[in-house]
Amino acid sequence: MRTLLSFLLLALASVVAAISTSGNRLLVVLDDVADKATYSKFFADLAEREFKITYATPKSDSLNLFNLGERTYDHVLFLPVHTKGLGPNLTPKTLLDFVNAQGNILLALSANTTTPTSLVSLLSELDITLPADRNSLVVDHFNYDITSAAEKHDVLLLPAPKPVRAGIKDFFSEDAGSKLIAFPRGVGAVLGNGELLNPILRAPRTAYSYNPKEQAEVVDDLFAAGQQLSLVSTVQARNNARVTVVGSAEMFQDKWFDASVTKLDGKPVVQTFNREFAKRVSGWTFQEIGVLKVNWVEHHLEEEGAPNDSNPEMYRVKNNVSYTISLAEYAWDHWIGFNVPESDEVQLEFSMLSPFHRLNLKEESHRLAAMHYGTVFTIPDQHGIFNFKVNYKRPFLTNIEVKNTVSVRHMAHDEWPRSYVISGAWPWIAGIGATVSGFLGFVALWMYSAPAVAKGKKVTVKKTQ
Amino acid sequence: MRFTRALLLLAAGAVQAASSWSFDDASVSVAAKKGSDAVKEKFSQKAPLTKPVGLGSTDTVKIILTAKEDGKAKRPHQAFVTIKEQETGLEAPFPLTVKDTGKAVVSISQKDLPVQFLLSPKPLKASVVIGSFGEARAVNTPVFDIELETDPNAPVPKYEAPLRYGKKPEIHHIFRADPQSPPKVISLFFALVVAATVPALFISWLLLGANLNHLTKALGTAPLSHVTFFGSIVAMEGVFFMYYTSWNLFHVLPVAGVVGIVTVLSGTKALGEVQSRRLANER
Repeated sequence: MRTLLSFLLLALASVVAAISTSGNRLLVVLDDVADKATYSKFFADLAEREFKITYATPKSDSLNLFNLGERTYDHVLFLPVHTKGLGPNLTPKTLLDFVNAQGNILLALSANTTTPTSLVSLLSELDITLPADRNSLVVDHFNYDITSAAEKHDVLLLPAPKPVRAGIKDFFSEDAGSKLIAFPRGVGAVLGNGELLNPILRAPRTAYSYNPKEQAEVVDDLFAAGQQLSLVSTVQARNNARVTVVGSAEMFQDKWFDASVTKLDGKPVVQTFNREFAKRVSGWTFQEIGVLKVNWVEHHLEEEGAPNDSNPEMYRVKNNVSYTISLAEYAWDHWIGFNVPESDEVQLEFSMLSPFHRLNLKEESHRLAAMHYGTVFTIPDQHGIFNFKVNYKRPFLTNIEVKNTVSVRHMAHDEWPRSYVISGAWPWIAGIGATVSGFLGFVALWMYSAPAVAKGKKVTVKKTQ
Repeated sequence: MRFTRALLLLAAGAVQAASSWSFDDASVSVAAKKGSDAVKEKFSQKAPLTKPVGLGSTDTVKIILTAKEDGKAKRPHQAFVTIKEQETGLEAPFPLTVKDTGKAVVSISQKDLPVQFLLSPKPLKASVVIGSFGEARAVNTPVFDIELETDPNAPVPKYEAPLRYGKKPEIHHIFRADPQSPPKVISLFFALVVAATVPALFISWLLLGANLNHLTKALGTAPLSHVTFFGSIVAMEGVFFMYYTSWNLFHVLPVAGVVGIVTVLSGTKALGEVQSRRLANER
């Protein structure tokens, strides 16, 4: 009985371990629950990753993101719906509240259906702009699939996206090889300038967005073109909640998973990367990858002969101090040591109002589920209340901001070098010696000296009278 | 089945190879605002301009071309002039206004360009992109460079790069310089000079007739008080020396108190003896 129970517990523990860091309750909002058959592989992949999926239409009355002020779901996935609005349960305000309560949202749009106003307002709150006519389509006459879109050029083929700058962790293009991402009949968005917004997939340089109803003949008014068009965009709020906008819901459908596509003049037939890309995009949005945590922070005095207790509250100016932080990253179902991306650094700031030191931390040791970063430095020659601060905010990674406050005292009177060590003090020390010996000599003479012989006598006689 | 599909694909490829978009009768002209001397230069798909086109702050560059599909003038869906900044790769598309006959035109002036372009040290690259639906191959040809001529009197446009999360430059605190000592030779010299005053003092006292002749007399009269009095004065100096080397104030105060009391008590006796010698006219 007991063994059975422990087995059960073990099984439960492994189930608990194999889910997202922020919960496994997933709500899928779609037009018709029957529609989910076209996404069956995508949902099967999600279910395999231990998500408890609830399907709902926007019309259903029982649909509530909050119950008694608590989130009822951890993640929401919106698939395209034909209705113009999303009803009273999914207003932009509710969705924003959901994000503020650390819920994650994955929005899949489509050029075939107009995007509901509720979602457009949500996106404009996040500084993501969709084309105003809400009917736009991204085409590219250079990078399309000639098997499925020979005439309309609306199935874009793109290589898996590399990071846009150096120092960003590559989550989406690893192991892609020569596989291409098919982006069928999608909507492109334009991102604002904020630091919280990051594109995952940008349109090719020759792509553009147009309205097939009004601009079928010629593009007169251009919404956006080239790399300004973001096809898959992300927002990570300051509370680490994630919102991802996927321009084409169709790319998650079964028919584009491991399908064969042909580029204009590339190799004849290439497999699509969509299944893996969908897994990574959903995994990133639902906090299964790119989640960081601090295991512990340790600092101590690094002086010879001094006590090296952990995390003391006080240091002295010009002390040598060692600082170590242990970081871990979540990788789908377990924690691993966090490796800083190439040409990026974890930085420690030692600051009072403004940083006095900002130092790159070096890898110290690698454990099973942690990586230790640390450095040794000299505390500045300024006393006051200082912070050890690691402020590690990077695209596609959750924010790390740890602060440890210590006081830094000035030198005590007996911690300075002795005056005989200072060569400039030697004349003064000699002066004290001369004064002392002169004084002792004077005392001895004054007490024991007999008057000088001969002429001295008269003088002393006069004095005594 | 697969074979026929492959055949179809092959056929499609063959058709594609046959039909493609191109442009002709292309020219670029730069007109100053006041309008007199428009510089007009012709270019074609095969022969891009080798010389960069200068664009002043009030000038307008006008690009005219005729789009053709397989040599026949036709209106394409996409007809852009894209201007690219070479340093960052930033691109700005300018759609051409195309007529049914394929004639297309666009005018670009400096104020249409993003501000980053105005600050670019290198010439901008302009290329023509023409493409449309169907099988005809689209074309993307670099055609000319644009060299921006900024007005020296106008203020330089300001561009502040938006905040992006990433590593920041390192900061190393600059410590105040350590206190300096003069060269050791000088310190040593003056220390010796100061030390030399002691023998100088004693020798001059001796020359003036200083002596210790009364010592035996004093010790004979009041031996204990003289020894303790002089000893306590020396001991007090010893206390100060200990204070300098190792003791703290709490060591010093009691010892100095004891020594002080000894000085006072033995001093009254010893100094009384000195006074008696003075009264006896021996001093």
